Formats: sequence, structure tokens, C-alpha cells
Amino acid sequence: MDLQTPMTEALTLTGIDKAFAGFPALRAASFGVRRREVHALLGENGAGKTTLMNVAAGLYRPDRGELRVFGEPVVLDGPRAARKRLIGMVHQHFKLVPTFTATENIMLALEVQNFAAGRLEIRRRVGQLAEDLGFPVPLDRPVGTLSIAEQQRVEILKALAAGSEILILDEPTAVLTDEEGARLLANIRRLAERGTAVVLVTHKLRDVIAHADRVTVMRGGATVTTADPRALSLDLLTALVVGEVVATPTARQTTPGAELLVARGLSVSAADGPPLLDDVGFTLRAGEILGIAGVGGNGQTELVDVVSGVRRADRGSLRLAGEDLAAAPVATRRARGFAVVPADRKTQAMAGDLSVSDNYAVGGVLRTAFGGAALDHGAMRRAAGEAVAAFDVQGVHRLGQKASLLSGGNAQKLVLAREFSADPKVVVVHSPSRGLDMRAMAAVHARLREARDRGAAVLLVSEDLDEILALSDRVAVMSRGRITAEFPAPVDRQAVGRAMVDHG
Amino acid sequence: MADARFPLAIRPRPEAGPLARLAAVLGGLVLGLAISVALLVGAGVEPSALLDEFVLVFLASPQSAASVLFQAEPLMFTGLAALLAFRARFWNIGIEGQMIAGAIIATAITLLPGIPDPLRLPVMALGAAIGGMAWIALPALLRLRLGVNEIITTLLLNYVALNGLLWLLYGPWKDPVSGFPYSAEYTAAERLPSLGWGRVDLALPLAILIALAIAFLLARSRFGFLLRFVEANPAASGALGIDVTKVVLTAVLASGALAGLAGFVVSAGVEYRMTQSFFVGYGFSGILIAFLARNRPILALVVALLVGLLMVGGQSMQVFYQIPGSMVQLIQAVLVITVAASDFFVGHRIVLQRAEAAG
Repeated sequence: MDLQTPMTEALTLTGIDKAFAGFPALRAASFGVRRREVHALLGENGAGKTTLMNVAAGLYRPDRGELRVFGEPVVLDGPRAARKRLIGMVHQHFKLVPTFTATENIMLALEVQNFAAGRLEIRRRVGQLAEDLGFPVPLDRPVGTLSIAEQQRVEILKALAAGSEILILDEPTAVLTDEEGARLLANIRRLAERGTAVVLVTHKLRDVIAHADRVTVMRGGATVTTADPRALSLDLLTALVVGEVVATPTARQTTPGAELLVARGLSVSAADGPPLLDDVGFTLRAGEILGIAGVGGNGQTELVDVVSGVRRADRGSLRLAGEDLAAAPVATRRARGFAVVPADRKTQAMAGDLSVSDNYAVGGVLRTAFGGAALDHGAMRRAAGEAVAAFDVQGVHRLGQKASLLSGGNAQKLVLAREFSADPKVVVVHSPSRGLDMRAMAAVHARLREARDRGAAVLLVSEDLDEILALSDRVAVMSRGRITAEFPAPVDRQAVGRAMVDHG
Repeated sequence: MADARFPLAIRPRPEAGPLARLAAVLGGLVLGLAISVALLVGAGVEPSALLDEFVLVFLASPQSAASVLFQAEPLMFTGLAALLAFRARFWNIGIEGQMIAGAIIATAITLLPGIPDPLRLPVMALGAAIGGMAWIALPALLRLRLGVNEIITTLLLNYVALNGLLWLLYGPWKDPVSGFPYSAEYTAAERLPSLGWGRVDLALPLAILIALAIAFLLARSRFGFLLRFVEANPAASGALGIDVTKVVLTAVLASGALAGLAGFVVSAGVEYRMTQSFFVGYGFSGILIAFLARNRPILALVVALLVGLLMVGGQSMQVFYQIPGSMVQLIQAVLVITVAASDFFVGHRIVLQRAEAAG
């Protein structure tokens, strides 16, 4: 890039401050993006990336600081104002109406006056745009029936159809497979070449190194530095993000013990179409992590639900040290030493409106550890306080504060603290580091290894192949509700990847 | 940068303090009362008369205070019944049906020979509680086993109960003395004993005791903790191994039992018999009370008193100013709407926009 030519920044944010309920989320953050570039905004969860971009998209008003769009100072009092300034944002959680088609969703965003004529015109324009970009999207099917990758394309088309020349993508690859992610980033590059200013919000270093022209690193609500990623080593970038170098874990040295959990022939049929789980079996030994890899939606959720007891299998057995638990309720399994960390922690593992203390203590309450009839609230708070400290759950100002105020990583640490409080024999985890930053992910992975080393049998279900490879002693691949391949350690990444996409 | 902006902006507030919550509810209440006063004045009531009927009378005369307390007794039971069900996320719209079922069982017991006098009231109360429970058991099981919407089933069972009651009153239970469609009068041993202050009877201390017990249960007991978890997130509760069905069923049956008791409190404390319309309004007022009290038992007693005051004041309005009785319901509805709307200010803040310092 020719740094001598004065280039107008398409969007600049200067000295942005933003506090929520007195807690600063942004401290004098500054950021700029030019036309024809992909500018990565890198940082851990809670570093303030999304908050800063929400300011740029008009969702938050900054407490202090200045916004300029193509050199002109602006005040954005809502997403509509941002759209007028040609700023479009694709959020991590899509803002789509699932029962509407892609065309209809895009129409909603454009606020067309003439419905019938607008519909045809937009259908045509969007179709053309999709074709130009190499963005295949079924325009006439309800968005709810599309895959995540397709929904994301609809979001991007929505922003572009509104004429956005500044496109902000919040963690776009977090929900995609490796392959889909690579394809998306290639498409983004094409967009930039056509003149769009692209902001790529991410916590994946690999994406930054491979696909960004510039990178701005955020830490603790402040922008730390802006640089050319090719001039930075992975280690240096890591250090900038976390403030220190996170040690990479060493390989395991333990030998697995006896067979502990044996599943045979687990099946769940669907109301229509092929079975969700089709004759799934596995053997899990004490002191072993079995990784279940696969592209999302191939029966992983059903497998976790069936093993944890949330859902009953139609057929099959699940023996824990000989005892068949396939029909046992959740409470029985937990009494036998099951711990479960579901994929969607906020809706499946916690009650966000209740306190941090309650969300930790519920495990003990169920084991009647805090009293059988009347509860010892003092003991519950003390135990929660100790766990919060031991598991390094940050952002807890009071134990009585709502659990929903915790960031994703800290919520996950709280869930782990609770699930590991009774020294479990079987640990079932689903995508335990989804959406977490590197530091939180390292902490979560360390806890899983610890559990394994204490002799627990760990079933790790994850769509993140890096995570599977980092933790697993053995890897099985799920496809279309079946286990289609198994790999002993050391696992060949290429082979697993091939098995994941091979639907033979 | 000329920016003609509205000077106020709405900001979401992640966690409101208890004071902000209280302020929001009180603000909603005050606004609702102001609208109600405007309605009443518009209907031709002198503002000074409002003060007399709704405020001064209550403070000045112990007899009026007693009549308000007496009026509030069944409301306390229906309010507690509603909040227990709501705590389990079970929308019990059938409190009136459960009241009828409870009162029918209580009345049936009065018709039984051979029960010694001192045991009659406790047996009637127990029977009424069981009657109310039985009436809610079907919707509860339908919802928990088959996912049938309880709003529909509990509401429709009100009409089943009412028609069952009418059949009894026009048939087997018709007053043998007068031939009117109401049951024979309860004997002295079947009436709730007065506390010697107006018509205030044993139901008042009973309601207070039950409210305290529920408050303790919710705040301190293991069951209360699990119920709070189920209320906050049923899916996570199930995944954690809480027996959600059992917790919900327990709370809902207790709700039905309290509604049945409310029926007993009216029949054995107000009417001393079964009539066609003894239950009217109590059930829906119970829902209102639980809602205004934010499902808190002690607060529910206070709100029940306020609603009692509204009813007593409304009755004298009706007599002295020819204000229709439905005005009381209108005021209740206004209060529900304003307090419900005040919830917005718990989750959001209105802030004054600072002028943006341009470039």
C-alpha cells in the first residue's frame, strides 16, 4: 500500500468514550477505514470491538468523541441515519425475519414506498448483485430455511442493496465452517476491490494475517495500535491482543483408564426426513477426551441432548459402568456424576435474570448441599464467591448481580465452575469456546484437560476443528446423524476435514 | 452542524436498582390514579367527594376501615393464588372457577350430617382447598403432559364451574325455605368467626399467615429457589436436572388450593351460603393484584387492600352519585395499563441529550 498518497478515510472515529451504567466500555477509542481496504478490528471478547462498531452503525451514541464519514463530521442517531451515510453493519446475530424471504427482508431494510413494483425491482437488483459477487442465495425461500452461511449472505446483500459503501462485518466467520469462512473472506476481498470500505471485526488471528490490509487491535475498551498485519508476527499480534503471550498447551501424557461410558445404537427419528441420530455408538474411557467433529447440524446437538438426558433416544443404550441410563432423567444422570456444558450457555445453562450466586449455587442446591428444606444462603454466597475467584470469572461486581450481565467468556467460566464443583465422572461439552476470546478459550480448555487428567471421561462436541484437534485424544466425525469416521491420536487435520465434508 | 434534535433520548438500562424499580411502579400507580380521578370527575363526581370516599373515610372511621379490610379478605386469597401460579409461568385465568369449585365442596360439607361443630370450619376449608386443586389439576396436567395452553383451559373451565353451580342452585340445592336459587344458609358453626371489628373475620389473619409462609418459602426454601429458577429459565432448569414438572405442578396446585379457599372465604364469611354471583370479579382482581404486586406475597396483601378500598369506595359512589359499578373495573384496568407501561422505565432510561460539540 502506498502510504505516501493522502487517502481520505471513509469512516473515522476519534476519541470515542462510551460507558454503560457507569462501567466504561470504550475509552478514547479511535479507528478509521478507507475505501478499497479490508481493515480488521481485532481483540478479545469484551475488548470493545462490537461496541465501537455499534457506535459507527448508529446503534449507540458515544458519550464523547467524533465521527466522520468521508471527512464530514456526523451525529448518527440510529441505524437509519447510518444507512443514509452509506454505513451498513452485519451483526453477529442476524437481524432477519425468519418467515420472510430474502427479498422481503431486504425490502424491509430499504423502506420501499411502492410494495409491488419495489418487490420486482429489488428482486432483480439483488439477484444481479448476488451474481456479480458470486454470492448464491435463494431469494424466494423463507430465510429461516436457509443455512447460516446463506443467511449471512442475505445480511451482506441487505447492506449492499441499501447502497452501503462502508460495510462492517461483526465476527462473520464465527458461525461458518473453515471452508465457508475462506469463501466469505475471498468475497469480501472482491468487495473491497470494487471500492467498498470493509471493517472485519474478529478475534481470529489467522483471518487477520491472511485477509486484512490493516489491523487495529483493541484491548480493554481502547485501541492499542494500527498496523500492517504482514509486518507483525503471530506472536507479536497475540501479545498485542492479550497484553501478554498466552502459553500454548503441551500435549497430554496420561493414559486412559477403563471403559466408562458406552453408547450403542442411539437413534432419534425426525418427524419428516432422515433420522437426526442414526445408530450412533461410541466408547469413552476414564481420563480420555473424545472429540466429535463435524459440520454443524449433522446431529451433534441431538447427540449432546440424548447423552445429557434432555432428550430421550428412540432406540439405543447408554451405559455408565454397566448401568443403562438411556431412559434415565437428567437428575439421575447428574447424580451419577454427569456434568454438562451445552452450546447455548445463556439459554440452556443459566438463568440470566437470576444472580451470579444463584446460577452457581443451583448445582449444589440440587445435590442438597445447601440444605434439604431451608437453604443456607450464606454458604451459597460463600461457595459462589470462592468459585468466581478460583475460575477467574471477571466482571462480577456483586455476587447478587444478574448473570446476564456477564460477557460470554465469563458466563462460560461460571458454568464450568458450577459443573465441575462436584468432581464429575462424565463431562459432556458442546462448543465450549464458541464466541470466546483466546484467553477465555485457553482457560476453558485448561479446565477440560484438568477434568480429563483427574480421570473424567470427556465427550467434546465441537464444530471448531482447531478446538477438537487441540483437546482430543481420539476424534470421531459426525455426518448426517451418523458417526462416519474415527481417528486415533495423533490426528491428521486434513483427513478429519475430508471426513467432515464427505457425505458419501 | 445544525442539528435540530429532540432533547430527550431513550437508553436501555441493563440492571435497574430497587429504588428505580419502586419509582417506576409508583410513578405508574400515580399516573393511573390521576387518570382515574379525571374519569370520575368527568363522570360528575365532586373532587372533594373523591377525597371523602376514598381517603378520609378510611382514615376517619374505624368502621369504614373494617369494611375495606373485610372487602379485601377474599382478594388477598385470589391475589396469592394468582401470584403462585404466575411464579411457575402458569397463567391461571381460572381463579373464579376454582373459587366456585372450592365453595361447592365447602357447601356440600355443610350438608353432611355427623360432623361435630368445632370441626366443621376446618373440614370445609380443607374441602374447599381440595376443590380448587381438583379444578386446576386438569389444565395443569394438560399443559404439562400435552402442552395445551392453560390460558384457554383455565378460562373455559370457569364457565363449566359456573354452569355446574347454576345447576346445583336451580336444582338440588335450591333454598328449601324460600325456593330462591341459593343454597340453605350456613349454620353459626359454619361461618367464619368475627374478630370483633366490623365484619372482619378469621380470614384476615389466615391470609396474612399464608402470605408470610409463601414469602418465606420463596425467599428461603429449596423449593422456592428451584421455583425461581424455573420461572427464570424453564429450559435451563430442565437441563440442570430440576424436575420442572413437579415444581410447576406443586405451585399450580397450591394456587388452585388458595383460589378454592377464596371461595370458602366468601361463602363462609360474606354470604353464608352459595349464591349465583358470589365470586364475581374476585378472580380477575386476583390477577391484577399479583401483577401490581410483582408476584410478591406481602405486597399482594397491600395491593389487595387498595383494591378493597377501590371496591368499597366504588360502592358508595354507586349509591350516592349514580356512578356505574363498572367504573371500578375501569379504574382497575387503567391501573393495570399504567403500571404495565411503567415497566418500560425499569428497562430504559430517559436521558437529556447533551449538545454535540461539532468538529
